[in-house]
Amino acid sequence: MELDFDLDKIGITEFGIGLEDDEGVQQFCCMTIDSDIQSALQEMTIATWSAMNKLDRDPPLYDPSNKHESPEYVHLPIDDELATQLRLLHFANNLPINSNALADPDKVLCYFARLTDAEGRRLTALRRATHFKGVLKNRMILLQLITNALQLIEEKVFRLDNDFDLLVDSTTLHIFRPNSFEFLGRLREALLAAVPDNIREIEGDLTFVDFTHVQDYAMKHTRAARYLASIRSQKLTENINESALKETCTEQGVNFTEVDGMVVVQDGHIMGFLEVLDRRRYRVNLVEDSPERYKATARRKIK
Amino acid sequence: MVLSSISPLFIIWAIRGNSLVPDIYFLVFCALMVFIPNIFIWLRLRTAIRLEEKRELIVGRADDSRDHILVYLFTMLLPFYTTNLDTWRDLVAALVALGFIVFLFWHLNLHYMNILFAAFGYRIFTIYAPLDSNIFTSKSGLVLITKRVTINIGQHLTVFSLSETVYFEV
Repeated sequence: MELDFDLDKIGITEFGIGLEDDEGVQQFCCMTIDSDIQSALQEMTIATWSAMNKLDRDPPLYDPSNKHESPEYVHLPIDDELATQLRLLHFANNLPINSNALADPDKVLCYFARLTDAEGRRLTALRRATHFKGVLKNRMILLQLITNALQLIEEKVFRLDNDFDLLVDSTTLHIFRPNSFEFLGRLREALLAAVPDNIREIEGDLTFVDFTHVQDYAMKHTRAARYLASIRSQKLTENINESALKETCTEQGVNFTEVDGMVVVQDGHIMGFLEVLDRRRYRVNLVEDSPERYKATARRKIK
Repeated sequence: MVLSSISPLFIIWAIRGNSLVPDIYFLVFCALMVFIPNIFIWLRLRTAIRLEEKRELIVGRADDSRDHILVYLFTMLLPFYTTNLDTWRDLVAALVALGFIVFLFWHLNLHYMNILFAAFGYRIFTIYAPLDSNIFTSKSGLVLITKRVTINIGQHLTVFSLSETVYFEV
């Protein structure tokens, strides 16, 4: 996968901080930095891109229902609903400068670099603030050149990491650490908010299923909301055969009833039903007369 | 920057002199009030360039703030130029009034008003980001000191940061 940015011709490097207040309101601002920090941020970006390419040159689409490794290179189109928060940050113009942004480290959510190349293209690189804040709390020891004695640093110290969690260019989110993306992209909120839309879309394909209970359940359970987002984004309900679906549900122990010709999934079996639709339940018949049923926490279609 | 913006006033005061304070002290005081803030600005600008404190501004609207110079003249130079400083009470009152105006200039972000910039051919624009529904895009104006005569909408400018709201284009 290509990056819509020329890492060999970086023109401007800006540094920013993401803050979250006690009410959960996020804001992003920039801080002025010297050329050494600019070089460090550029090196981090190049290291991230290089590590991503070593992992996977053809990264799969981010699947909200998969359990991901960390790191694992996946991608997401920037116009995807799940990318809303980071898309807003990437396309925001003239972010305000706040030289006191680090005054309260507990509010620091992430830090980011905003790079502009010679052609004016922008790249946003984000890192969740964990070590960045952590070092601040523990004073560092330092080898003094004059005395060779270790000393405690009294000043506030922030530490940059070796790489970023994700890169955002004009078309794509290149995700290196999916867990951080989920945290920074406020995915939980986005997934729950997207449930009614996802249900509406899926209902259009499965007109013989009553989704009322499924929607109520998914509005309260993030894992179910993740399955719905995955099913919709991968168009997994297109052309599903009614009898084949009923047969698979029976085979997988997913209980349902039929009311006025509509399939109604029983309470306690909604997750199982969503797992069937999300192609997570499968059966293996390697032992004669002893079929085994499994659930996949992550899966990838074999071509 | 605020002190630098009022430095011309001290030039005028130095020329007028004062009957309360001996010239040598008054002139030194005025000279310091002229040179120190401007040297500081020059150092700040040089440091910003040396450390490459660059950022990109995208223009949605650019207002020529030339009229602010008039505000500056009428609130700062003209009233204080005519102030009588012949008694201690007048002198203290003038300094306190000056303090209030300095605070207001600072508080209202008008500290970029500087005759020196104008003398070197720089203009002052207030730049606003393009209007969009993005909640993170800055809605407040940023001051740009530049030699450009006009700035077009949509233009991407590479500028040096002098303060959180004031930028300089070389």
